[in-house]
Amino acid sequence: MTATTKLVHRVRINAPIQQVWDALTKEGEVLPFFFNSVLHTTTLAPGAPMRMRTPDGKFTGVVGEVLEITPPFRYVTTFKFTNFDDPVCKVTHELKEVDGVVEYTLTSEDVAVGTKTEKQMQQGGAFITKTLKGLVENGKPPFSSRLILCMISLFSWTTPKICRSENWPLDKPIR
Amino acid sequence: MKPDSMDAVFQALAHRHRRKILDLIKSMPGCSVNDLLKYFNISRIAVMKHLRVLEEADIIISQKIGRTRELHFNVVPIQLIYDRWTTEYSQFWASHVTDIKFKAEAKAKHDRDH
Repeated sequence: MTATTKLVHRVRINAPIQQVWDALTKEGEVLPFFFNSVLHTTTLAPGAPMRMRTPDGKFTGVVGEVLEITPPFRYVTTFKFTNFDDPVCKVTHELKEVDGVVEYTLTSEDVAVGTKTEKQMQQGGAFITKTLKGLVENGKPPFSSRLILCMISLFSWTTPKICRSENWPLDKPIR
Repeated sequence: MKPDSMDAVFQALAHRHRRKILDLIKSMPGCSVNDLLKYFNISRIAVMKHLRVLEEADIIISQKIGRTRELHFNVVPIQLIYDRWTTEYSQFWASHVTDIKFKAEAKAKHDRDH
């Protein structure tokens, strides 16, 4: 059996909880904190597919299925990077009001140790939390995140063929 | 990041036992307080006190799972401090400088030992 690990990222966001929740679960719009991806789903409910696609819809970077959704507190999905042949893991977004701010915790579980997914989750977790904070508090991602987003769009032509959206339709089961 | 939360991070990092706790939790995600105790000659109460300081700074996240408590390292507060004073460009050159330092020190150590 593959050894798995759990990664936790947490940030405090100075904004109303509903505003953080809306930013986190927005459909059909570019999400800077999720590497400029757009959330595609049928309806955000347990069992529904989750696909994170490029703004033009041509490529899909992350796929999964909604496991739990309790607005504005918990959003849980299965999670798989389309370009890595790694086991599916579980990602939990949790919002909690603490001392007048929102505590946002991003937990990635069942992440296979030593995989590219683990490395990506470590770097991606810090990016997602700090970018969401900047976006909600100041209306735009922090400077360091904007540079990374710029690099992503510059290198989009290097995206592998396996990530093409026709390989990841909404009705494809993710295992 | 609020000034007081930044103070909490610097305070948390300003003790060698707390830095050692961070190293241990980073290398053993989800470990327990008992796991940490094996690496210290100080009392459980002292370790718990250090953990509380780290938790208040959000660098450590403690999650209750059943009857046990899992400890996780949270890089985000340190990342926010890093981002404040570093740009992508200075990061590139600073990492070259630190590379030179580590390589030179490793060679000096090798020469001393042999």
